Amino acid sequence: MIDIAIIGGGPAGQAAARQTLGAGLSTTMIDEQARPGGQILRQPPAAFAVKGWMAGRLYRPLRRLLAQTEADIRLDWRGGTSVAGIERIEDHFRLTLSGAHGGTLLARRVLIAAGCYDMPVAMPGWTLPGVMSAGAVQTLLKSQQVVAGQPIVLLGSHPLLLVLATQLLDAGAEVAAVLMPQTYGRMARAVLPYLAGAIFTPGPLIAAGAAMARLRRAGVPMMMGARPIGFTGDGRLEAVDYAWRGQVQRIAAQAAAVSYGFLPQSDLPRQIGAAVRWARPAGGWETVCDGAMRSSIPGLYVAGETTGVAGADAAMAEGEIAGIAMALDAGVRPPSGMARAQARRARLQPFIDLLRAAADPGEVWPQATPETLLCRCEDISVAQVEATMAQLSPMADASAVKHRCRIGMGLCQGRSCEHALVRRIAAARGCDPDAVTPFRMRFPARPIPIDEIIG
Amino acid sequence: MTHEVLIIGGGLLGCAAAWHLARAGLAPRLIEARGINAGASGQNAGSLHFQIERRFLEPGASGQGADIVRLNRLAIEEWAGLEEQLSRPLDIHMHGGLMLAESEADLALLASKVARENELGLPTQLLSGAEARDLVPRLAPHVCGAAWLAREGHANPRILADAFAHAARASGAVIETDSRLLDLHRDGHGWQATIEQAGQISTARARHVILATGHWTARIAARMGLNIPLYLAPLMMSVTDRTAPFLPYLIQHVGKRLSMKQTDDGNMVIGGGWASAPQRMADGMPDLDAPPHLVPDNLRANLAVAASVLPCLRGRSLIRSWTGMTCISADQLPVVGQVPAAPGLYIAAGGSMFTLGPLLARMLARSIIERAMPEEIALFSAARFAHLNAFVVPS
Repeated sequence: MIDIAIIGGGPAGQAAARQTLGAGLSTTMIDEQARPGGQILRQPPAAFAVKGWMAGRLYRPLRRLLAQTEADIRLDWRGGTSVAGIERIEDHFRLTLSGAHGGTLLARRVLIAAGCYDMPVAMPGWTLPGVMSAGAVQTLLKSQQVVAGQPIVLLGSHPLLLVLATQLLDAGAEVAAVLMPQTYGRMARAVLPYLAGAIFTPGPLIAAGAAMARLRRAGVPMMMGARPIGFTGDGRLEAVDYAWRGQVQRIAAQAAAVSYGFLPQSDLPRQIGAAVRWARPAGGWETVCDGAMRSSIPGLYVAGETTGVAGADAAMAEGEIAGIAMALDAGVRPPSGMARAQARRARLQPFIDLLRAAADPGEVWPQATPETLLCRCEDISVAQVEATMAQLSPMADASAVKHRCRIGMGLCQGRSCEHALVRRIAAARGCDPDAVTPFRMRFPARPIPIDEIIG
Repeated sequence: MTHEVLIIGGGLLGCAAAWHLARAGLAPRLIEARGINAGASGQNAGSLHFQIERRFLEPGASGQGADIVRLNRLAIEEWAGLEEQLSRPLDIHMHGGLMLAESEADLALLASKVARENELGLPTQLLSGAEARDLVPRLAPHVCGAAWLAREGHANPRILADAFAHAARASGAVIETDSRLLDLHRDGHGWQATIEQAGQISTARARHVILATGHWTARIAARMGLNIPLYLAPLMMSVTDRTAPFLPYLIQHVGKRLSMKQTDDGNMVIGGGWASAPQRMADGMPDLDAPPHLVPDNLRANLAVAASVLPCLRGRSLIRSWTGMTCISADQLPVVGQVPAAPGLYIAAGGSMFTLGPLLARMLARSIIERAMPEEIALFSAARFAHLNAFVVPS
């Protein structure tokens, strides 16, 4: 039995490990990637030297933490491994692992710092090959130095698109346009209340301004108030349709990167029954925790995007808090003090609020048509889901809809479509998504080869 | 308001009983604490097993197990007519079922089982391993025999109760979801129920009450001072990713716990009576409302049994394991009909309630309509446990 299992090798998990290792606690870190870094510092394969990789100033603290993590021989690193199951047994936890380091792992305390994933957004043509999430396009770029396709159109409400656009330009890609549905005026009104507070963490704001200047210099149309309608093409993406000043416009593209926000990874907290709540602004389920990152399950801690999407700096701060809390709760002394770590996290909040307000897809959500697939694993359309809902009591939960039309019953087990279904049920009922009972998360959190289970 | 019949529970049994009673003009009222089909009716693995199940052959099982064949024969006819009666497709497949043997001991058990079934009029046939592989070429080479029953199969548990509920409403039944029974007690010649719906508490009177409440039945009865020998059976099931159709039959095993079938969508559903672990309340009693925990060793064992007879499963992925609760009676046979110590109170529970549900719902409805227990199910009457209530003063 180990003292600490950390699920996720991103900034939160790494920062927590500094504290638990420093306090002398045996610590195992599990991640689906072969190397630590998380999505923000998604590393190239070890045999793959990339000159000037992630050189930006904003990435500097993250790179320093990553170097410390990789150099720390006390850390039991288990890459290429998924956590498929988590259970609490008496006073400890049992994790069921799958992949490179399969088997079970017993730990006295567990930190889930599993990050977030791109919110899939169902709109006409979204399942055409060539239509990708912004995160996927960025991962290909960071880890494999591959441009997903060009010309590429970036679209959605999330300012990450600006960062991605500059990274694509740096890689020499032809960026056809950046389409954001918010008008300048709307975005300005949304962010204004947070601007004064965010001025204490000016880095990301300066970066956003620099990114826009860079796009302008490169001649990339940056269109605020352009509302994406859908994707067309014969067997693969050929063009993106959008509404601009009351007219439908079409722009040719071989690839599209979509970003309306991110969903917290909450499969494991939900599987073990930790309290979650509807995340704002994009949706999905974030894990509830106290000021020391303790979840509602004794001995289970959460940090980073799992607790609500707030970016890598917040993840790093929360991971540090969780690491300190785990050490203190275990009765040993961590290297850093709790109060300072909590203050560091608190300073970030105004910028997080600003970013959330700027990225809010609330009023600019793309419209699905009845034929649009909501569940792409099982090919279930909006019309099928609506027809099923119409036959059920208005109080029916997400599982009741699922059992009748198979939405969410495929390989991804609802990771892709559950948020959209919950939103639809809430809209039909006229209630908050928080009031809708979502799917029940079950073992395994990822599909596992049966061969591997049997052994 | 006094109802002729009040049904507690909107699973397969309750909805089907509501339909039969409504068609007879009794306008039943059904209340369901959550949603239609939210319990075991929608969570079971959907087997239509009509051979004597392995559980009746396990050491220590009652010798009366073979009696189930009498019900199973009736259930075959019940299922065969359902899609026509309900006028809608229900994913019912009765293409046959194989109960497999992997050893000499299995074969001996299988032979005696088939002889007993044939005596009781169930046309099971003993097949060699080669004959079984003619039917399912992917069966493992060491499978050395099988009992074949041509009308076994599987159905889709996710849609059946809805179909009954829909038909029941169309015939005049009133079905209310999110309506929880708070209290039930005898009142003159009938029953009075206290019901909570959306924070509103109301009472209803009924001449007859059906507890179609699955694994909650014993606890609800206990609150009324009645002893019903039904014991919790928390189970687990698993499903794989999809694969091209290759298995039109139900697969069971005579020597190990296994049920396996391929759904219309191509997924393999694997179960067979492996236990899950109920969550516990503060006093240690099982929490009947919370989903049981998966038992990893049982999952591994269940999948190993499945892959042992069907090695191609090793190439598939598990996408979900789930748990649900049912209950089993003291002698493993269903407990059906009026509770002698509580005239007007009817139950049906105790094992195989998906396979037997449509039949037993019809029989319960007949018990009420005809004011007498149908002779076909007399062996399974709740009256056989009447002695348990000899010292009870029902409240």
